[in-house]
Amino acid sequence: MKPARKSKDKLWASTHRVTIWHLDSRSRFTGKSMAATSVHKFAQCISCHAWSPDLSMIAFCPNNSEVHIYKLSEDKWEKVHVLQKHDQIVSGIDWSYRSNKIVTVSHDRNSYVWNQEATGWVPTLVILRLNRAALCVQWSPKENKFAVGSGAKTVCICYYEQENNWWVSKLIRKRHDSSVTSIAWHPNNVLLATTSTDGKCRVFSTFIKGVDAKDSAMGNSADTKFGEQIVQLDLCFCWAFGVRWSPSGNTLAYVGHNSMIYFVDEVGPSAAAQSVAIRDLPLRDVLFLSERMVVGVGFDCNPMVFVADESGLWSFLRFLDERKSASSSAKYGSQFSEAFGKFYGQSKFSASNNVEQSRGAHDNCINCILPLAKQRKSSVTRFTTSGLDGKIVTWDLQKQEDLLDYL
Amino acid sequence: MFFSFCMFFRTSPELLLNPVTICRNEAEKCLIETSINSLRISLKVKQSDELENILTKKFLRFLSMRAEAFQVLRRKPVQGYDISFLITNYHCEDMQKQKLIDFIVQFMEDIDKEISELKLSVNTRGRLVATEFLKQFI
Repeated sequence: MKPARKSKDKLWASTHRVTIWHLDSRSRFTGKSMAATSVHKFAQCISCHAWSPDLSMIAFCPNNSEVHIYKLSEDKWEKVHVLQKHDQIVSGIDWSYRSNKIVTVSHDRNSYVWNQEATGWVPTLVILRLNRAALCVQWSPKENKFAVGSGAKTVCICYYEQENNWWVSKLIRKRHDSSVTSIAWHPNNVLLATTSTDGKCRVFSTFIKGVDAKDSAMGNSADTKFGEQIVQLDLCFCWAFGVRWSPSGNTLAYVGHNSMIYFVDEVGPSAAAQSVAIRDLPLRDVLFLSERMVVGVGFDCNPMVFVADESGLWSFLRFLDERKSASSSAKYGSQFSEAFGKFYGQSKFSASNNVEQSRGAHDNCINCILPLAKQRKSSVTRFTTSGLDGKIVTWDLQKQEDLLDYL
Repeated sequence: MFFSFCMFFRTSPELLLNPVTICRNEAEKCLIETSINSLRISLKVKQSDELENILTKKFLRFLSMRAEAFQVLRRKPVQGYDISFLITNYHCEDMQKQKLIDFIVQFMEDIDKEISELKLSVNTRGRLVATEFLKQFI
């Protein structure tokens, strides 16, 4: 298999199929037990979160330069650590499964790897050599590398150099035409998928001599040099956001700001793509629960479930959260009326301040979704979401009978 | 700050989406401009006659002068429009999406209502004044 050249990217058009769902999605939902098992409001707004390997602790950024670590003790969340080293908003956190290290990236263009020692969490600075904000970070499956997406149109692959006791950053430059919004590691530890605000999803090889060993499990991807582009997916004509590989690495899913979700099988020159248009607001992030089920989260504040049938055809199944249909006519006491009340000194504009109650688990855009599992597994039933409303919601699909077939 | 925003979008034009115009006719329209971290909504309010025209102008000027009280309101509307809102990522982080939408919709409804009310009271007052004035000739 040769890596696809630029001219071959057009191959996509022939296998490209669009499904549009006009069905009223909400009518398909039959009220069953709630999928959201716990909702906890940690802050005003959360930019990202990560779970500790044993799932007893959670690290999140309350939309400022700090990272807070909370521990669950006797059904109560307690703040145990505050990591203060960044100067600006922390935009990405990842907690490694095996080595128990936290990596954080921030708009201040730096990254820190935090190691737990007797005295607490000790940071090591990683110089990313960026001139714009870092936007996202993820440990590779083997945890010997991590990747950082940035607003500088570059991706940094960082690895540890034993002899210098130092994290080195290698850049993939001049490949992206805009900010890299999301990154995802293939299970083989070499391929990296990125999405960018130029609307493209790209797959790169990140093979680093001396860090990655050549073995047959990687297949042909081990032959490629560092930073070589395997494929460029040109499906979206808008900004692309979250990207994820399926647990086996056979399927890639990413979302666009045009309310579409894209599924790509057999990434390479002979790839097949499916686009599913949704009738609701765009998604921000996706997560594979199994090879046949994907959850997307975004501006609708309600996770969406996508499933593949036996033939591998993806479609939108339903929303996960049960919403009470609150009356939309509930008057919002606007500042407008209050200002008028002051101006006229009349009661005519008195604010009718019966603020609409939140209807679901989340009441603002969800921008982060993570599996809740102690190791990388082929299927997970629990996951957590966080968003601009400062809540972290745990979802459990164990009791969602209609979904269990797909797990 | 505005200058730096301009520079930013000049170097990265892909971070701006195509603007959307929703209009019923030339006199009533709404322009929505979207970027990666902000959204500008501009409204042109219906002005069927000169009286409505002057009322709208005075009234919206009164509101724009107090823009900071409304947070998402801009002091100067986009050219060709009567009033502009600017919603940034900071507003979305502080406020709930649904409430922001409700606020703008409420605002639009209130403007329409207020202008027709003002027009009515101007007309009533005009009629009253005219009656009082003409009484002396009886």
